[in-house]
Amino acid sequence: MSSFWPIFKRELFAFFVTPLAWVLITVFLLVQGMHFFLLVDHFASVGQAASDQTPLQAFFGNTVLLYVVLFLLVPPMTMRLFAEERRSGTIESLMTAPVSSVAVVLAKYGAVLTTYLAMWAPTALYLVILRQTGDVDLHVAASAYLGVLLVGATYLAIGLLMSAITKSQFLALVLTALLVLALFILGVGEFVTKEGTLMHAICAHVSVWAHMNDFASGIVDSRRLVFYLSVSGLCLFTTVRAVDAWRWS
Amino acid sequence: MISVQNLVKRYGSKVAVDGVSFEVDRGEVVGFLGPNGAGKSTTLRILAGFLGLTSGKVVVAGHDIQAESFEARQKIGYMPEAVPLYTEMRVVEYLAFRAELKRVPRRDRTAFVEDAMKKANVDDVANVLIGHLSKGYRQRVGLADALVARPPLLVLDEPTAGLDPNQIREVREVIKNLGKEQTVLLSTHILSEVEASCSRVVVIAKGKLVAQGTMEELQKKRRPAGLTVVVRGALEPALTAARGVEGISKVEVVETAVSHREPGVHELRCGWGKKLADDAVSRAVEQVVAALVSAGLAVREVRARRSSLEEVFAELTAGERAAAEEAS
Repeated sequence: MSSFWPIFKRELFAFFVTPLAWVLITVFLLVQGMHFFLLVDHFASVGQAASDQTPLQAFFGNTVLLYVVLFLLVPPMTMRLFAEERRSGTIESLMTAPVSSVAVVLAKYGAVLTTYLAMWAPTALYLVILRQTGDVDLHVAASAYLGVLLVGATYLAIGLLMSAITKSQFLALVLTALLVLALFILGVGEFVTKEGTLMHAICAHVSVWAHMNDFASGIVDSRRLVFYLSVSGLCLFTTVRAVDAWRWS
Repeated sequence: MISVQNLVKRYGSKVAVDGVSFEVDRGEVVGFLGPNGAGKSTTLRILAGFLGLTSGKVVVAGHDIQAESFEARQKIGYMPEAVPLYTEMRVVEYLAFRAELKRVPRRDRTAFVEDAMKKANVDDVANVLIGHLSKGYRQRVGLADALVARPPLLVLDEPTAGLDPNQIREVREVIKNLGKEQTVLLSTHILSEVEASCSRVVVIAKGKLVAQGTMEELQKKRRPAGLTVVVRGALEPALTAARGVEGISKVEVVETAVSHREPGVHELRCGWGKKLADDAVSRAVEQVVAALVSAGLAVREVRARRSSLEEVFAELTAGERAAAEEAS
């Protein structure tokens, strides 16, 4: 695993030297900032009492904005991870160094996850701003950020896998976007299927929308943890197998 | 250092490497020769641990490439054919990254990187972005990458491909110096490359091993192909005289610029039977000259034509084609 650090560092470096990274971060923070501004403005005009939500809950839960942002953000972040190395051939130098497939996959995943967290980090300032005017339940904030981490980690793992199974960055981007969208739509199925049916149970279980609403209200359900961790784990495991499989293609 | 036994690699139904066996000993510089598509790169990629093998056994520096891939990869400095590099990094950054990846201890890293840059002649572009470098420099950065962890074995896939003659000479010089300390296996489809840098050669074609041996052994396969003489005088007696010499199988008149300019000057190309031994060839040359002179012709020029290494190579790698030509 000692090959984890050099690859991890290089991945971060490679991401942040491209203009793409800064464009993504800027767009992300602009959208989130506007979102936050509109929410605060709304709460200030109607007053807290008129709503059963806190601004924090509204920021993370019961909003599609979070998914729109992730849907636009995650695919371009993960598309190049393996696809670019395979297209340019640098994967050959990488894999002929004394490195293990597991270390390579984890390092790339770790780097993109770190980038993702770095994007969210400035939003912690919103908490500071909110605390100037009222109470913020830090447990709920922690739970919301845990949700953001879990959903992001899962989306990124899906993106990593898609990048590993194609040489084309564009195809990786499209596939990731489709899968992320499909997972979301499957979750929305909770509201259109009849209660009590198997389909309804499945949709409710995978509903990112409903999960985020829970997390945003401070509910940490272990079923959600298991769901996200197992989907991420499965994607990472499959990616390692895909990387090993290139040797035999 | 390298032991390859009965290596087979199939891509689906296509056989890329078909039962190749060879050895490379410590301290040798071995040329791995074959036309494009012969399976050179595939074999080297298997040696380097990038591709899996279908059957056979490959041992690198005492480690089986399948069972102990990790240890084997640590002993090899591999330079892939396309020299893939991270173009967004500076040369020194890239080499430091590669050194860390190849587990060079932290305290040695700077020294190893500088040493590799010096050996590969890229120290003058240490702080240039790789994306801005010319092909020749990139090739040498790839070489520096192969060297950086000071592996006992270097595997270089077409190290001079795409370079201009000056750069080729430089890279060959580097390789020659490396051969003093390290074992080198380099692939190429250019024979003069092997002549310039290698002590031994392994030739493959269509995935099969066709020849291996020292340069001298390969040189011996070079047969004298014939004799060219330029004479002044009547053509008919010259042809008769030359044809009368033992060992000469055919004599042709070649139209050249000289024979057009000066009437009465002819260039004759004599060929001999393929089985003629070296001393018999020398005697045949003497006899041809003597016969021509006694036939009253003035001999201006005598040139022995030896088949080039390229021709030997073509014969080795395309046995059936050479046989067909011989029959015609």
